Parts: sequence; C-alpha cells; structure tokens
Amino acid sequence: MTKTPEDRRLELLQGTLDMLILRTLQWGPQHGHGIGQAIRQQSDELLKVETGSLYPALHRLVKRGWLKAEWGTSEANQRAKYYRLTAAGRAQLLRERDRWEQLVRAIGLVMNPAPGEESRG
Amino acid sequence: MKPPKLDELDEEIRGHIALSIQERIARGEDPEAARLAAIKEFGNVLLTRESIERVWRPRWLDGVEALGRDIRFALRSLMRAKGLTGTVVLTLALGIGANAAIFSVVRSVLLRPLVNRDPDRLIYIRQTAYGIGTDNYKFSMPEIRDLEANARTIRAFGDFSTVDLRLIGFGRGPRMVTAGVVNGSFFDVMGLRPALGRLLNNGDDGPKAPPVAVFTHPFWRSVLHGDSSVVGKTIRLGPGLVTVVGVLEPSVPYPAETQVIANVVTSPHHLSAMMQLQRWHRMTDLFGRLAPGATLEEARAELTAAHAAMMRAHSEDYAAQAHVGLQVTRLSDQLASPARNILLLLLAAAAVVFIIACSNVANLILGRSVRREAELAVRAALGAGQGALRRTLLAESLVLCTAGAALGLALAWPLATVAGRYAARFSVRALDARVDASVLWLGVGLALVASVLLAFVPRLPSADRKGGPGLAVGGLRMTPGTRRRLGIFATTQIACSFVLLAGAGMLLATLNALQTANTGYDMRQVLAIDVPPPADGVSGEAMLDFFREATRQIGQLPGVEGVASGLIVPWRDRNDGLKMHFDFEGYQPATGEEVPVCRMRPVSPGFFGVLGVPILAGRDFADTDTARVAMISQSLAQRMFPNGDAIDRHLSFARDKQPRRIVGVVADVDDEDVVQEPMLTVYLPMLQVGYATRLFVRAAGDPHALVPTVTRTIRKVSADQAIERPATLEDVRAQVLTPQRLNAFVFSAFGGIALLIAIVGVAGVLAFSVSARTREFGVRLAVGATPAQILTQVLREGFIIVAIGISAGALCGFGLARVASSYLGALSTPGVLPAAVAAALLIAAALVASIVPAARASRVDVLQALRSE
Repeated sequence: MTKTPEDRRLELLQGTLDMLILRTLQWGPQHGHGIGQAIRQQSDELLKVETGSLYPALHRLVKRGWLKAEWGTSEANQRAKYYRLTAAGRAQLLRERDRWEQLVRAIGLVMNPAPGEESRG
Repeated sequence: MKPPKLDELDEEIRGHIALSIQERIARGEDPEAARLAAIKEFGNVLLTRESIERVWRPRWLDGVEALGRDIRFALRSLMRAKGLTGTVVLTLALGIGANAAIFSVVRSVLLRPLVNRDPDRLIYIRQTAYGIGTDNYKFSMPEIRDLEANARTIRAFGDFSTVDLRLIGFGRGPRMVTAGVVNGSFFDVMGLRPALGRLLNNGDDGPKAPPVAVFTHPFWRSVLHGDSSVVGKTIRLGPGLVTVVGVLEPSVPYPAETQVIANVVTSPHHLSAMMQLQRWHRMTDLFGRLAPGATLEEARAELTAAHAAMMRAHSEDYAAQAHVGLQVTRLSDQLASPARNILLLLLAAAAVVFIIACSNVANLILGRSVRREAELAVRAALGAGQGALRRTLLAESLVLCTAGAALGLALAWPLATVAGRYAARFSVRALDARVDASVLWLGVGLALVASVLLAFVPRLPSADRKGGPGLAVGGLRMTPGTRRRLGIFATTQIACSFVLLAGAGMLLATLNALQTANTGYDMRQVLAIDVPPPADGVSGEAMLDFFREATRQIGQLPGVEGVASGLIVPWRDRNDGLKMHFDFEGYQPATGEEVPVCRMRPVSPGFFGVLGVPILAGRDFADTDTARVAMISQSLAQRMFPNGDAIDRHLSFARDKQPRRIVGVVADVDDEDVVQEPMLTVYLPMLQVGYATRLFVRAAGDPHALVPTVTRTIRKVSADQAIERPATLEDVRAQVLTPQRLNAFVFSAFGGIALLIAIVGVAGVLAFSVSARTREFGVRLAVGATPAQILTQVLREGFIIVAIGISAGALCGFGLARVASSYLGALSTPGVLPAAVAAALLIAAALVASIVPAARASRVDVLQALRSE
C-alpha cells in the first residue's frame, strides 16, 4: 500500500498551534484559510490544521490581544476576515519560540544522549 | 474586546469555504466537485461555530453554567433521597419561618417609624407615683397649666383624656364609645393628618367653641363602613349634639384606643370645676412637641425642674410616700419599651431554633457527604478541582436551603399574624405586623448563609492529603474528625433544646399556678355586666335609683340567686384613682413605716354574698345604713387592729377626716392582680359613695343563659342604658390570663419544635454512626459480644450525647439568664422542676431516637459485615 499524504500527517503537539499561527502572521495579515494553507505548505504537507481548531484558536488570540481582526477583500475579490499581529502578539511569539527551542533541546538531549551516556545508565 | 456577532461568524466561515473553492478551481478542479470537497474539508460548521463562541464566553458564565448543571444533578439526586430532603427542608423551614415571623413583628414595633410627622420631636410626658404602685399617675388640669407656664423647650402641648360617652346617630341604637377629649393643639403636637375633612385645631378650644369631633380610622372603617358622607353630620354624643368634622388617618392609638376624639365642650365633666380646678383630679395624658433647636435632654431638664417646683408649691397634694415623679420620653420609645423585652426574648428563642435547625441540617448534610465521599473521590481522581467539588456541594445545599426558605416564608405569613396578635398585648404597633419584602430578603439571606456554611461543613477528598478518603475503600468509613463534628452538632441541638424546653416549662408552671390559684371568688356562677353611666348628667340620686330598681327587678327573675352592684369587675377594670390614704383609729405608723395605701371599693349590700367572698366578722352593709360605715379586708384588719378588735372601730379618708364605723371584716380578694397578694381594701357602701357602674348577678344555673332576660330587664328600667361585656368571672380571668397563656404557648411551641428537631438530630447521628461501623459490630459479634451488649452500647452513646448537651444547656441557660436579667430587669429563672422535666423529656426522646439504630446495630449479620469490604 502506498502512503498517501493523509497517512504521513502529524498530530499537532498541544499548545503549539498558537505559536504556529503567530509565526505565520509575521509576514503580514492573512485570513483564516490562508493561515491554514500557509501552515500546510510550510510544513511540507505534514501539518494540517483542522478548521475546528484553527478558528477557536484565532478568536482566542484576538481575545488575548495578540491578534487584531478586520474585514478585507482577497485578491479574488472575496470578502474575508484578516488577522494581523499586534505588538503584544510579537512579544508573545518571541516567548513561545524560546520555550519551544528549550523544549526541543531538552527532548533532543533525552532522545540522543551524548556518546557514552547510555552505557553508563 | 467585544465578542463577534453570530452572523459575523457565519460570514467568516462562508468566506473560508469560498476561498477554498476558488483555490481548488484555480488548481483546475471541476466547480461542483470543488464545492463539495471544500465543504467536506471544512468539517462540522456548527461545531466549529460553537467552539468559537465558547472562546468568547466570559469565564463566570461557565461557572454559572456548571453550577446550573450541578443544581440539576443535585435535584435529581435529592429526589432519590426523599427522607433526607424532606427532613432538611422542613427543619430549615421551621427555623427560617419562625425567624421571619418574629422579625416582622420586631420590625413593626421597634424599627418602623411612626406615621406622626417628625416623630423624633414628639415627646410624651408622664407623671408617675411608684410609691402607690402606679407608673401612670396622669395629670390634672392645674398641673398641666403649671408645667406649660414658662416652658421654653416645648413649642406646644397636647393633652388627652378619655371619657365613656353614649353615641346616638346614623340610625342606630345607643352605643357606648370611648371618646378622647383633647385640647386644640393636640393634633398639631401629634403631627397627625386627617383622612377626611379636618382635625381639631386651636379654634375648637375653650368652653365657647361649637362642639366638634373626629372619628378614628378603625371605627370609621368597621362601624361606619368607610362612609365619607359622615363628615358634616350631627350626632348625639353624651349630653349634646356634636358636629363630625373629619376622620383621623390610621395611627397608633395611644394612650388609649378611642372611637371618637372630641373637643372639650362635648364633655360636661371636662368643663366642671373639679376637672379644671382640683389638683388631685388626675385623668389626662400629656404630649409635647420640642421647640426648634431644643433637645429631648433640655426638655427633660426643664420640665423636671418645673415639676419639682410645682410639687414644692403644692406639697399638700403630693404625699411623700407616693414618690410622685416625672418621665419625659420620645413617644416612639414609650410605645416600643413595654414590648421590647418580650420581643427580644422571642427573637432570641427564634434564633435558638435557627441554630438548632442549622446544626441539625449540618449533621444530615455531613452524614450525606460522608456517604458521597466515594463519589467525590472519583470526581477528584477524574480531575475535578477543590472548587468544582465545593460547587457540587454548594449546589446541593442551595437547592435544600432555597426550598427550606420558600417553605419557611410561606409559614411566616400565618406565623406573623399570630405573633403580631400576641405582641399587640404589649404594644399596639404590633397589630399591623406584616410579612413583606424586607422579610423576604431576610429569608433569602438566611438561606444563603445556611447554604454556604453547609457547603463548607464536609471535608473534601484531596490527592495530597494522607489518610483522606480514597477510592480503595468501597464501604462507608467515618474519620474521627467527622464523628467529632457530628457529635458537636448533636450536642448543640440538645443544649439549645434544653434551654427552650426549660423556659417553656417555667412558663407553663407559672400559668398552671395562676389558673389553679384560689382567687377567693366564686367565679363560675357570677355574671358581671358593665352598665356604664351615660355621662350626661344622670348621676347622684337618679343613678342610684336606677341601680336600686334594676337590682330589685333582676333579683326577681327566675334563676337569679342574688344581685349586687359595684365599681370594679375583678381583673377587667383597672382604677388607680381608687387607691387612697386612710386614717385608722388608734393607728400610728412606727418610725420609718410607710403609711399603707388602701384600695377603696364602693359596693352594694349583698356584694360579698353574690361574689362568694366570706364575711369573717361583723355584718354586711344593709340598705338601712344611714350612719357612715365601712368594711375592711382581713389583711387590713390584722395590720391596723392587731388585737382582733376591728369591729366598731373607726376609719376615715385622710382627706376629709370624717369617721366611718367598721361593721365587718371580709376575706382578702385581689381584684387587680392575677397573682394574689395580701389585700388592704376598704369597702364603702355604694349608696354613701354615690357611684356604681357594674352589676353582678349570681345565677343558679348557667349564668350566660341569663344575659337576654337581664338585658331586657335593665332596658325596661332605663331604655337608653348601654349594657356591655356580660361575662362570668371565670371568663374574665381566662381573658386576663391570655398573655400568660400565649407566652406559655409560644415558648412551648418553640420548645416542641426544638425537641422534634433534636430527636431527628440524635437519631440521625446514631443511625449514621451505626451504619459506618457495621464492620466493627460484625467483628465484635464474631468474637463473642452479645447483641444486647451492642444494643446497650449504642443506647449509651445516645445517652452521652444528651447528657453532655443538657449539662451544656444548663450552664448556658444559667449564664444567659444572668446576662438577660441584667439587661431586661427581673426575670425569674426556671425552677428545678421545669428544668428536671425538660431534661427527662430530652433523655426519653433521645433514647427513643436511639432505639432504631441500636436495634439495627445489634442485628448486624456477622458474615455479611466481615465480607463487605
């Protein structure tokens, strides 16, 4: 059986969606559909964000003041809600990025111990 | 940050799908297929929209919603525990209902302002004479003129006295009314307004003014049916014609309840020289309105000084032994003060009932929550935080307390009416006690307090506490802490119940003593009838003729054994004016001895025979007595003539010094106090005093059956004669004992409620303790304990709770009585007998309550008990 893209998909780690959204919006305002597409393309089709998670997350970020929403029109003349990063959102992105990097490093250390460590255990 | 509207969310979602379709078409997909794929890809629109909405919902709303869920759950689970729910709701309802009812009365008597304008500046001035046992000596007109002269702190005085007058008008027969006779500034001083027409003013003062009157509101409403055409009509009031000028607004009838209030010219008595000039002729109450800027203290100081100066100037009219004094108070305080003690006592009793109710409910809830510990532990294990668990408990107690409060307030309605009628004996203001919004808030407040307290009574299971209730144990386990708390609540209940029961017992004992006391009268066979003299000049010989003739004709009626007349129906008529000083032949007061004040009673010949009072020495009065004669009571004879030679000695009024020969000595009877004391009474022949208003008829059979024929006979003698309040002495005494009976009844009711709740409490605690120790009993039975031993042990536990409770209650009760008597004045502490009876009652009740759980403990199935865990 050949592997379809669906099968290769990864589950998003809890709490990382907010960070991905903030990161995606760093390049400029975008609507919900665009954000979802961007995450998929950037992740080489490995991450797919369900709308059922994406939209509540967007609204949550707006409520916290990290994003700002305003109505606009797409290139194809379709009315859509555009989300834009606020200053607070930028600061939050930096914090989340730091935390993420620490997490990756910590998990990396556990999973790939320095040579010799494993035998000692 | 405002949450987006619903259609905005829809538009955003539609936009998303549209963009998705556009993209797919751009990739070369067929438009129809693209549409379907986009919709499929989006997933569940409604679900997404709902989760967006949830993001925007405020957090407290989540809490409320969760509480709502908890409440629904609580309702369902409480419906399953009907017995517990019923007990808790009923207990709380009794506690809250009693409090709400008593509070309504307290509010209307002590807290609500009077309708009188500016009631804080309305003062009541009273003359007292404690030396002769009267706290309201009243004023005479010369005294009032002395006080009014030069009073700078009082802007105006209002005086008020009552007189019984015959009222004829509106096409009805004659009726006796009590009329208030007032000066022109009375209504201005009282600050009252007319409901109709006008009130009396300074133009109505003096002997030359036209006679005018106003009706009081209750009389106008009930007797005249609120007929507004009465204003301007002319009625016959007493001797003359009087114009009705208005109706008084509803107000507190003080100092006396009257039907009409009229100006001075309507009452010949008020114009007489005796009323106007005699300093000792005291029948008037005095009110005042403070002058601008003056305080109550200044007024009191000024009036007291004026009063003292007046007594010095007329020292012959103020016997030193009478201790005449002056009281100046706000009218509002005067109205509230007699009721204050009894109301505070009632409030305390209601509070005790509430404490008992709350402890009982706390016990039941505690027991229930221990049963629920397993459930709570599961919830905690599944991630419910402490807050969520408390919320579960709060929901349940809220449901219970709200139901209790609702039922309690429903109960408060009739209870407040009963309590109001009861308290009306102490303050007229209690009559319009109503349950209203503020009481509703009280109920809601009590319920909320109770539910929050109850929610915090049980201990919560928690992950980090060692030895906490866990999932491992399937059965019921009780920790020592829980058991201690249960015990404390049960003991509190017993202690409070004991205090209430002992108090009720004391009141019942007092009542019983009063009811069975020997009064010296033959109460059952004697009919007393008020035959008030119409104050229209029929006095002296004409009145005596009427009495002589009425007595003669009634005496000839079949079934009548004797007729007599007098001035006082025992216990019903109070007349402080009939207390006087007498001189007795050969009696000199020892140094420091107070000359006793005696009661003076005019009676007709045959009076003692009719009322069944034995004549101990000498003879009765006779119609043939022409020389001045007197009879005296046994105690007076012993005191004044210790050698037993009272007969044929002489006495005289201290005022006129005319000697009267003592012809007889009669047994002591007390016609004023329900508790009989040694009586110093001087009886004078009615014909020589020249005044009588009461007829006494001794019946062979049922006295009440004689009323119609006696009435007809009196009317035959004098067609216009008012005839009122026929009753046997037994009826009268029952009537005057009503306050005592009500006291005893109210406190017994409180005690009964407390006892009931306490029984439920003890039974609940023991039942719970037994079911929590099934395993223990099983083990004991297995190693050889007999069921009887188990039974006695549980009974002993019940007994210990009660014993501790009663000891605590006795200590508290004693302490409370000490504290209370320092605030409330004389308060008799319960005797040993009522306390012992109360204790016995509680012990018996507790043993009965223990029997069921004890029997269950002794019947524990060993095998099942041991296998149960």
